Amino acid sequence: MKLFEKDQKVKITLKVNGKPYETEVEPRRLLVHVLRELGFTGVHVGCDTSNCGACTVIMDGKSVKSCTLLAVEANNSEITTVEGLAQDGNLHPVQEAFWEKHALQCGYCTPGMIMQSVWLLKENPNPTEEEIREGISGNLCRCTGYQNIVEAIKTAAERLRLNQPLYQRR
Amino acid sequence: MYPPKFGYVIPDSLGEATEFLEQHEDAKALAGGHSLIPMLKLRIIRPSYLVELKGLKELHFLSREGGKIRIGALTTHYEILKSGIPLLSEAASTVADPQVRNMGTIGGVISHLDPAADYPASLIAMDAVVRIKGRKGVREESFKDFAKDMFTPDLSPGELVTEVVVPDFNGYSFSYKKLERRAGDFAIVGVAVLLKKEGGVVKDVRIGLTAVNNKAVRADEAEKMLLDASPDEKLIEKVSEKAMEYANPTSDIRGTAEYKKKMVKVMTKRALLDALKR
Repeated sequence: MKLFEKDQKVKITLKVNGKPYETEVEPRRLLVHVLRELGFTGVHVGCDTSNCGACTVIMDGKSVKSCTLLAVEANNSEITTVEGLAQDGNLHPVQEAFWEKHALQCGYCTPGMIMQSVWLLKENPNPTEEEIREGISGNLCRCTGYQNIVEAIKTAAERLRLNQPLYQRR
Repeated sequence: MYPPKFGYVIPDSLGEATEFLEQHEDAKALAGGHSLIPMLKLRIIRPSYLVELKGLKELHFLSREGGKIRIGALTTHYEILKSGIPLLSEAASTVADPQVRNMGTIGGVISHLDPAADYPASLIAMDAVVRIKGRKGVREESFKDFAKDMFTPDLSPGELVTEVVVPDFNGYSFSYKKLERRAGDFAIVGVAVLLKKEGGVVKDVRIGLTAVNNKAVRADEAEKMLLDASPDEKLIEKVSEKAMEYANPTSDIRGTAEYKKKMVKVMTKRALLDALKR
């Protein structure tokens, strides 16, 4: 059994976007704050009450709200944030689709929305519109109004299934 | 929002976890944490320690044997919705949102026992059994007895839910209808129906209600009206009206008591019609 007192720091190891990080945290520290301090500021603090989904990251293959997870719980896990999606300077197909379909205005919800979409399309590569809407029901957007977000996810699904990039790579 | 300070315990075994929780009555077990961490952030609770359960593999399983389905306490809502359990998988698909379903667990839900949670309507309709482990050993309780009152499960200090056991209800049709104010919210009214028909005649029926009492209830008299009957629109209307008598809701942000009571009739009717046509 490992026991940490409330003021004691716990050493944790996280693999974020393929790179290992070691840090020390109080037991009460939330994962979202630790990720932001490590420099992954694409992970947004939105509502801070597990409603809005702006803090969504993929942890060990599951999309999760990092404002409702303790950093100590995430010890030894593999985490992907929005910063980890682009490969060799090329945007991920979901990112490209959000760009092309104008699926954002202010952009605050976008990283969480994109991470949830990536997870959704991994679980269900050919979703119906209803499944898309249900799939992003844990992510709130207060300006785009969802229509273009749904369009973007549909487009990304198609491109991912056909394994085609949206644009010719430069 | 930051949680208050607490110590953190990572047990190597279930025995260590129950022993620690028994010795520290103000400690809390941490499963998926999607009720516990929000409560910490709102400073509703201030536990001395959190005891991490996620490493205890013996709580994380799902197996079918002899007409029963055993669901380990750490099984997530997403795992349940994917595993084709009659009624319960459908209820799981309505819990909160996808991210929460990826973390939240069935053991956590019934140990927390929010009166508006989704599972209890199904669990009471299914005659679910809860298996509990403490230092004194293992015991089993029907979910009906386990749920003593709102937020009050039958758990002594140091006891943990280890699994939920439900019959597999082969050959039953079912439906869970949830009225919610916005996507992913708690139920305003939740009605679970399990139904077995033979040659157009109802041979078994169970109606469970959640969110309209301190704890989930069965609408027994409404069930009896359907037994051995060939339900038509008129009878379903009467049965749904009877189910309404089992609701004793309170007025809150999600609606007045009067409105919720009326909605029990509407949702019961929808659930029955849905189950009958499947």
